[in-house]
Amino acid sequence: MPILTIDNQQIEVLKGTNVLEAAKGLGIVIPHFCYHEALGAVGACRLCAMNFVEGPVKGIQMACMIEAKDEMVITTTDQASQEMRARVIEWLMMYHPHDCPVCDEGGECQLQDMTIAGGHDIRRYGGKKRTYSNQDLGPFICHEMNRCIQCYRCVRTYQDYCGGTDFGVLGTNQRVYFGRFRDGRLESPFSGNIVDACPTGVFTDRTFRYRTRYWDIEEAPSVCPHCSLGCAVIPGGRFRELQRVRGGVNKQTNGFFICDRARFGGGYGNHPERPRVPRVDGAQTTWPEALRALRKRITDLVARHGPGAVAFLGSPRASLEANYLLDSWAASLGSRRIAFDSHWQHDRSARVAAGKLGPRAASLEDIRCSDFILMIGVDPLNEAPMLALAVRQAVRRGVRLAVIDPRPVTLPCAAAHLPLAPEALPDVLEALAGGDIRRLGRREAVLLEGILEQLRAAERPVLIGGPDLLGAAGIERLLDTARLLASEHRPCKVMTVLAGPNSFGCGVLARQGPDFEAILNGMLAGEIKALVCLESDPMTGSSDPARTGMALGKLELLAALDYLPTAAAHHAHLFLPTTAVPESAGVYVNNEGRMLLFSSAMDPGTPISVSGGGDHPPRTFLPATPGSEPRPAWATLGHLQGRRLSLRDIRQAIEMEHPNFAGLSSLTTGGEGKRIADISPPPETAPEIPFPHSEGEGTLRLYAMEDFAGSGELAGYASALAPLRPTPFVMLGALDAKQRSLSDGQQVRLRSELGGVGVALRVVPDLPAGIALVPRLRGTALESYVPGRGHYDCQILSEDEEKT
Amino acid sequence: MTDLLPQNIHDALAAKAIEHLHPREMIIEVLRAIQDHRGWVPDEGVELAGQILGLTPLQIEEIATFYDKIYRQPVGKRVIHVCDSIACWSRGAENLYLYLQETLGISPGETTQDGTFTLLPTCCLGLCGEAPAMMIGLKAYGRLTRERIDEILATERAEAGA
Amino acid sequence: MKQHEQVLFKNRSPGETAFLETYRKSGGYQGLEKALTKMSPEQVREEVKKSGLRGRGGAGFATGMKWSFFPADKPGEKYLVCNGDEMEPGTYKDREILMADPHQLVEGMIISAYALQIPVGVIFIRYAYEQCSRNLERAIAEAMEAGLLGKNILKSDFSFELHLHRSAGRYICGEETALLNSLEGVRANPRSKPPFPAQKGIFGKPTNVNNVETFANVQHIIAHGSAWFKNLAFTESGSGTKLYCLSGHLERPECFELPIGISLGAVIEEYGGGVWRGRRFKAALPGGASTPYLTAEHLGVGLDFDPIEKAGSRLGTGAVTVFDETTCMVAATLNLNRFFARESCGWCTPCRDGLPFINWLLEKIENGQGEMGDIDMLREQIRNINGRTFCALAMGAMGPMQSLVDLFEEEIIDHIKKRCCPLKT
Repeated sequence: MPILTIDNQQIEVLKGTNVLEAAKGLGIVIPHFCYHEALGAVGACRLCAMNFVEGPVKGIQMACMIEAKDEMVITTTDQASQEMRARVIEWLMMYHPHDCPVCDEGGECQLQDMTIAGGHDIRRYGGKKRTYSNQDLGPFICHEMNRCIQCYRCVRTYQDYCGGTDFGVLGTNQRVYFGRFRDGRLESPFSGNIVDACPTGVFTDRTFRYRTRYWDIEEAPSVCPHCSLGCAVIPGGRFRELQRVRGGVNKQTNGFFICDRARFGGGYGNHPERPRVPRVDGAQTTWPEALRALRKRITDLVARHGPGAVAFLGSPRASLEANYLLDSWAASLGSRRIAFDSHWQHDRSARVAAGKLGPRAASLEDIRCSDFILMIGVDPLNEAPMLALAVRQAVRRGVRLAVIDPRPVTLPCAAAHLPLAPEALPDVLEALAGGDIRRLGRREAVLLEGILEQLRAAERPVLIGGPDLLGAAGIERLLDTARLLASEHRPCKVMTVLAGPNSFGCGVLARQGPDFEAILNGMLAGEIKALVCLESDPMTGSSDPARTGMALGKLELLAALDYLPTAAAHHAHLFLPTTAVPESAGVYVNNEGRMLLFSSAMDPGTPISVSGGGDHPPRTFLPATPGSEPRPAWATLGHLQGRRLSLRDIRQAIEMEHPNFAGLSSLTTGGEGKRIADISPPPETAPEIPFPHSEGEGTLRLYAMEDFAGSGELAGYASALAPLRPTPFVMLGALDAKQRSLSDGQQVRLRSELGGVGVALRVVPDLPAGIALVPRLRGTALESYVPGRGHYDCQILSEDEEKT
Repeated sequence: MTDLLPQNIHDALAAKAIEHLHPREMIIEVLRAIQDHRGWVPDEGVELAGQILGLTPLQIEEIATFYDKIYRQPVGKRVIHVCDSIACWSRGAENLYLYLQETLGISPGETTQDGTFTLLPTCCLGLCGEAPAMMIGLKAYGRLTRERIDEILATERAEAGA
Repeated sequence: MKQHEQVLFKNRSPGETAFLETYRKSGGYQGLEKALTKMSPEQVREEVKKSGLRGRGGAGFATGMKWSFFPADKPGEKYLVCNGDEMEPGTYKDREILMADPHQLVEGMIISAYALQIPVGVIFIRYAYEQCSRNLERAIAEAMEAGLLGKNILKSDFSFELHLHRSAGRYICGEETALLNSLEGVRANPRSKPPFPAQKGIFGKPTNVNNVETFANVQHIIAHGSAWFKNLAFTESGSGTKLYCLSGHLERPECFELPIGISLGAVIEEYGGGVWRGRRFKAALPGGASTPYLTAEHLGVGLDFDPIEKAGSRLGTGAVTVFDETTCMVAATLNLNRFFARESCGWCTPCRDGLPFINWLLEKIENGQGEMGDIDMLREQIRNINGRTFCALAMGAMGPMQSLVDLFEEEIIDHIKKRCCPLKT
């Protein structure tokens, strides 16, 4: 490891570290624009000049472009390097408008900071200023090219890192322009990252425009709740509403970037119909009254029917602390009837992952650094978007990526795609684990042989799977396969995408407990009289919404704690409002078992934009903030058990009871989190879990799939994501479409056990025969098609056929 | 499409692109083919090049706007490129450039009202031995004087069928 | 005007282009035959190395040395690229070669490809050289037809395919790594070095790039030997002839093939016909727009790489642009700087924005609005651009700029004091 001297201080750095980073290690922060840890050094801005006095290179050099070497002696404070930096800033500022007072970036502008730090003050350039026209880049991002300093960060983020192809650099010399071919929404699902990447106000968050100055926004490091990856985000609130989300840094998970669902999908907590007041039997009431009523009703039910009459449903989107307290409440009442995910396969998959993933768990960083990737039954862009980006980083380094999935798995990188029907996936898993490869077709067998060969040859292979098509049984086989492929010298890691931000944590808590299927049966049989739902909505969350609705109708008591206006919250006899994620602190355990702390960025309250209806809110004077009733679920659950607990108390209790959460209470916000210890014994008697599909009949087998912005529960309540939701469509293979004389784009009728619905047809050339796909789209007729349930028998008819 | 690229050339380029390991390499070739036919490259030309090469219009545009000899705005039937580099400058190119502007009644970057000539500056044409020089279309003209410019313009105008 | 041995220009005749028949009559393709039948690739490389040939594209790097870095013996995809993006103001030697005798380039490339064991070559030709492209197309077709190019050249084991790429403008494409990007169809920004093209060139494969004139010399070296080639030079240290492109205020601004190392004064007086209109010599760019000015005191300097460097300038492309006594050096340098500013690819700040900054400064001075502080500001700009940019383009711009403030400071002061250009009539 080289040792070098910068400004008379010595530092030892890892081989390959550049001098700019080395200086940063000493606390010497030299202004720079084009260098970015995730994007690398390209030497474009020429700002990070340092004077190399001794060593292999001499003179003024760009520190980001020079690898730290032994014997280097460098100064950053000498006249020559300071002058260089001041001149570069002066050049960059030649045309920059002095519009900071009206610029959204003002106050959090790197250019402002670097201009001061670089030592440029008064503009000497008196020539004509270069100006540009702006483009309409859609509902999420504003374009103000006159502010551009040509650092190329946006395009390196958008094209190189994120794989976007509709935004780039145009023109040459001092007229280079960063934009699109034409006006229009940026197509990449990671487009918002250019807002974070831009050092000044060229690209700003349109949904946040003109709303808050940086110094007025309340921010805190948090974790994105939209999927199971646990990306670091920084939500920001003001005027009692979540106003924006920007990317946080966690090098083990998301790195530096986030997806647009995370960034623009934070508005679920601002929903105008969000229930904010406790309610008993449909009437709003006070907290003490509601708590008393809930306790009393449950005590009565237990007294009358025994503890088994009360069931509990935790949630993968509730914090570990809240889920734990729900569990301990159930235990204190003597009820064993608690499940943590109403979706049966998701629940079982999480338990398998929690029980068996162990040290084989791959982080997103592991994937970025891997050297061969096999994805099976996983659709990253729709299920866990940042996974797609992690995979891209590996592929950019020349890593091969194989995808086995019936869905048209769209990725921001090249992949070898083997489209196999869901029913064939168990055979594939079998074959990968050393089973009979001949059960597959000949072509498939050849391709699989090739994949296996590469898998065996790789040094850091990663297998990735998801629960919707593999189910718990498939996830388990995937883990077995990894175990078989791994040796002492060569790990074979696995990433299992799970349903929610805390699915893994729920999987640990659930252990041998019942699943929601058992609870459903209990409700339908009349054994269960009460159900307490913690931030969960079985009406839309379970794989069988109709049956769930029927079961819930039989209950004497449905209690819900939530911050979303869900069906369960609406129908609950007893409702207790909870705080949304940006208003809460807690821990999520992401899909690799990483405990991640999130803090509260803001207090709950009815957004002024809601109470004022877009205008100034009414001038009424109240002792409390309007709409500030929601309380953290963990606090309410503690209260219901008559315990006054702090988060610290709860975490210590969790550590005591579940030793694999060791270190939970010493987690800090904004860090990389900590992987849970792998000491939980795997479920002894794993129930025989069928795959989420069965051999089909003569009709088409329809599978529901996740959609980037249309399927998620939280995303469904985030109005800003509306432009990203597709209109309902069904996908069909070319041959099946031809047989039915249907063509791409045509309006068709989709008929299944769930009824008939008109949708547009998308013909996907290589979709396996006999398979149809629909995205689950909340708020549309496709809402009740639940991914991960297995197939629906369906028919697809042209509208004319339907009429006859 | 035929007003962007004759069918036979389109087909030849498309066939070549399919065979090509890196169709990107052909961007300038395709753009120049469109420009040869159409005189300039309209937005639809960028889109067509994208279709032929399997790239997005933006990916084409990034290249198209890099080069000064790909015209992304309408030009006249003849584009006059007047060299303004040092060798021509030293021999009076500036005055001839002004003379051209006067004669044609246009400023640099503009096209004559009859649509015949567009006037653009260019860097050194490699005609330094014949400075001052200019290029009309792909044809080089050196040893320019006012009189010679008048003659050249007359010939080119006649050839352009104006 | 003394006649010197014509090598590259031996078939040059006004208004005519020599094609295969003429070329062969004058000994064309004998070098190739010799190389393929009598020499190993290594011997060819050795001969070129011994010849002392230095790159004619501007940087003057020893060709043999450059080739020695190339993994010639490693099998696989490799490329040979000819840089025919001649766009350095004042330079038109490659054009002269391609207009007069294009087979020289084709043969030179085939021999070079043999020496470096490269199967595919590309000639990159600038937009303005359409006639050169057509000449090359014909030459390539003729060579193919004659079995001199393509599969099993001259019935040997060696095969080489040669492509022509017509560009669409932009000086930066002449920078070899930018040229590779241009060929790949990505934006022609220069690449960071290392890795050098010899290691990672087109699509990451080993690539050797040479200039038209450099390649054209190769077949003569092989045909006649390195000793002969070295002897062609005027000076002891030099090698070969050089195509000097004369331009500017001369009676006869033409391109001459002369022994390398002939003095600046001799070139101007004997070949260029002297400064035009009977005026006196003021300054010259000895090697293109990116070389520092030489003045009257340098007229005795030999036009070869080393002597010119000693005089504070560079041989560059060997394009001599002469300025007479009436020339305003501020205006001349402004013209040069405007060229570089316009041709900047826009990648790095000092070039993209620093050159326009200098444009503004020089315009101010030339228009009589300069202040005394502007000279310091100009020096400070030069100091912080020179050697600080991503590639050599802006460094080229700083060549004449530095010599402007060093050699003609009085003239700048005159502009500022008189509040106008003292030389404008």
